[in-house]
Amino acid sequence: MALLNISEPGGKPTQPIRKRAVGIDLGTTNSLVAASCSGSVECLPDDQGEYLLPSVVHYRKGREPLVGSAAKARMVASPEDTIASVKRLLGKSLSEIKSQSLSQFIPYSFNEDKDDQSPAIHTVDGDKDPVVISSDILKILVQRAEECLQGDLDGAVITVPAYFNDAQRQQTRNAAQLAGLNVLRLLNEPTAAAVAYGLDSRDQGNVIVFDLGGGTFDVSLLSLQKGIFEVLATAGDSNLGGDDFDHILIDWMRNSTDSKKNYDASSYAALLQQANQVKHQLSEESAVEVEHQGKSLQIDKILFAELCEPLLKRTRLTCKRVLRDAGKKVEDIDNIVLVGGATRMLIIRESVVKFFGREPLTDIDPDKVVAMGAGIQADILIGNKSIDNFLLLDVNPLSLGIETMGELVEKIIPRNTTIPVSKAQEFTTFKDGQTVMAIHVLQGERELVSDCRSLARFELRGIPPMVAGAAKIEVSFQVDADGLLSVAAKELSTGKSAEITVKPSFGLNADAIGEMLSSSQMNAKSDMKARVLKEAQLEARQLIDATNSAISIAGTLLKEAEKNAITAIVEALEMAITHVDQAKIHALTEQLNRSSSDFAARRMDLDIKEALRGKSIEKLENS
Amino acid sequence: MQFVNKNYFQLFSIAEKFHIDLDVLTSKYHELQIEIHPDKFVNSTEQEKLKAVHNTSSLNEAYGTLKSPLNRAGYLLKLHDMDVEQVNQDDLGMDLLMEQIQLRESLEQISNDESALSQLDDLKSRVRDKVSQCELTFGINLEGKDYSGAKGLFHEMQFLYKLLSEIDMIEERQLGY
Repeated sequence: MALLNISEPGGKPTQPIRKRAVGIDLGTTNSLVAASCSGSVECLPDDQGEYLLPSVVHYRKGREPLVGSAAKARMVASPEDTIASVKRLLGKSLSEIKSQSLSQFIPYSFNEDKDDQSPAIHTVDGDKDPVVISSDILKILVQRAEECLQGDLDGAVITVPAYFNDAQRQQTRNAAQLAGLNVLRLLNEPTAAAVAYGLDSRDQGNVIVFDLGGGTFDVSLLSLQKGIFEVLATAGDSNLGGDDFDHILIDWMRNSTDSKKNYDASSYAALLQQANQVKHQLSEESAVEVEHQGKSLQIDKILFAELCEPLLKRTRLTCKRVLRDAGKKVEDIDNIVLVGGATRMLIIRESVVKFFGREPLTDIDPDKVVAMGAGIQADILIGNKSIDNFLLLDVNPLSLGIETMGELVEKIIPRNTTIPVSKAQEFTTFKDGQTVMAIHVLQGERELVSDCRSLARFELRGIPPMVAGAAKIEVSFQVDADGLLSVAAKELSTGKSAEITVKPSFGLNADAIGEMLSSSQMNAKSDMKARVLKEAQLEARQLIDATNSAISIAGTLLKEAEKNAITAIVEALEMAITHVDQAKIHALTEQLNRSSSDFAARRMDLDIKEALRGKSIEKLENS
Repeated sequence: MQFVNKNYFQLFSIAEKFHIDLDVLTSKYHELQIEIHPDKFVNSTEQEKLKAVHNTSSLNEAYGTLKSPLNRAGYLLKLHDMDVEQVNQDDLGMDLLMEQIQLRESLEQISNDESALSQLDDLKSRVRDKVSQCELTFGINLEGKDYSGAKGLFHEMQFLYKLLSEIDMIEERQLGY
């Protein structure tokens, strides 16, 4: 691990003030946090010595949720309130979740009244959406890191599967912000793994990172040249993971016993745990006995590989695709890095060795390698470690484009383009006198709109009426270093131009985006404005919470009229947040700050008076 | 660092020619990236961060332009005030059009069976040979300041690269990607 050692060249230089930075691997099955508590970056254990935090959250009425093993232990007893594999739900609409192949196994009940774009799960503690659930997992990791680093965190690098689309990345970022984290960078998991290895074996070369996690599968091909880690191509299958191998075993058990039994959520959870255990045993033993429905079944590695062949084939197809996209052949690969607990399966290792004709690197625990890499990158980004000539150059995993006539997708940024990237393309009107143009932003490789993922829709209004084809509309795409997209559209043919920026974001449904746009029309807006809006919303929300709790604690300090005035502002601010009205959010936050500062001063006065009660002036002067 | 309106060849300190050393281009690109990448501005102001994103986007655009032979050819013609968006009949001789039609027909005639992939491979290497030929002559024309000749070759290259990407797409479909 060359990189880990580069940081402290010789002796002990004067220590600059170290900032507290962590790397977090927010996984489908398990999550980890890594930081440099004692000189080098390591994964941090909990007080039981466990590094892996099961990504399971158990909600309880009116109490803090349980996260990790304690939550996992409640999966069988109360499956509806115990959310596992929430990562599979991130960035997806309710209809997408329902159409997923695994939906039949998801025991949760979703709030059907809510907008399709923001699914929420009913729990005893109220509705929980995937962002909130993910942030509950992150909070536990943050606590763990803060104990070890002895203080509040300054920043974090959060990893995402390379193949995550824009909505999934946005929601990951939002979950981290909700957990109070300053997100330094979203880092692709395979890239993080490559950093952890430091790949000291050679300074130059091509590395394949084969990452099979609980619920996602990614393959990336990186080229290493003198400290520059350049991702040449990445491909993946966001619906393939270690969990699928469990389901193959369940199907086999049911078919072998001819069991037509319908399982309820809790007996299915028990069956899943049994299958998971068999899967683990099969990586250590040549054959395993399984009890199911009173029958004794036997499975060996060969049968398991046969049953899993459709899944193995999908992994090989992804490897071929990434080689092809990078313009490389199997012989060009110098190293293979395995990531994710599922790569412990012997059938996976054998399939990888057979495909690439070489043994993979396995020095670092495949469960920890991503968090380690993220921790190293966080330490570098925050400025604790300066390494000459170290840089990660990543790519966007999926092509981005917009809808054109005939429900076709015009690609604006092709997949595997190095980020950050900005591209603009001109479009024109279709009808005489057309003053409005609908812009539909899509992500995916296929030609038809219906085969790609819709990221956002918005309208450009106020185009001066002209004959068809005369107006010039420039649509520009910007993908930042986190892989997040913003889109702007501008009318160029006349001096009058309208410019709008959309940042597809959690909680902004199509209507909200429409409203945001109509209010911002004809105003030039920069990409960063959308982010500013989100921050404003967050700040406003925090202020509301603080004010409400202050009123409930010390409301008696306020005259009825004052209290009403404050409550009225709080209500107006809540409205402004719901309606995504940035100007109002700012104005009302300001106003609430002013009105409540008086209240805060009075509370402080009271506290001081309480503290001073009984003390004489002389004593005060002496103290 | 200011990227706006800077000649891409000057940006990477390489000679303004069609045939360039890609390794030199890449190592120059890496040097510049290390200076301006957003990762170097994580602790800076929002404004500086935004600037880093824009600068790096421009750098990536410049690198992508020079790395791809087709884009590099188009860029060189633009530097010599040739309008590459405008295709004149004179640029494309009758022979060229006939040849393109034939190549397209060969693509359409590929049967949809096991031999498809090897047929696609054959066609691909035929097209690639033609591309190399074009690129060689393009370089010579440009050196000899025969810009209209170079422009004709550029349009031929456009056809050929378009065909290559179509072959790729059919191939991907055959491979089940």
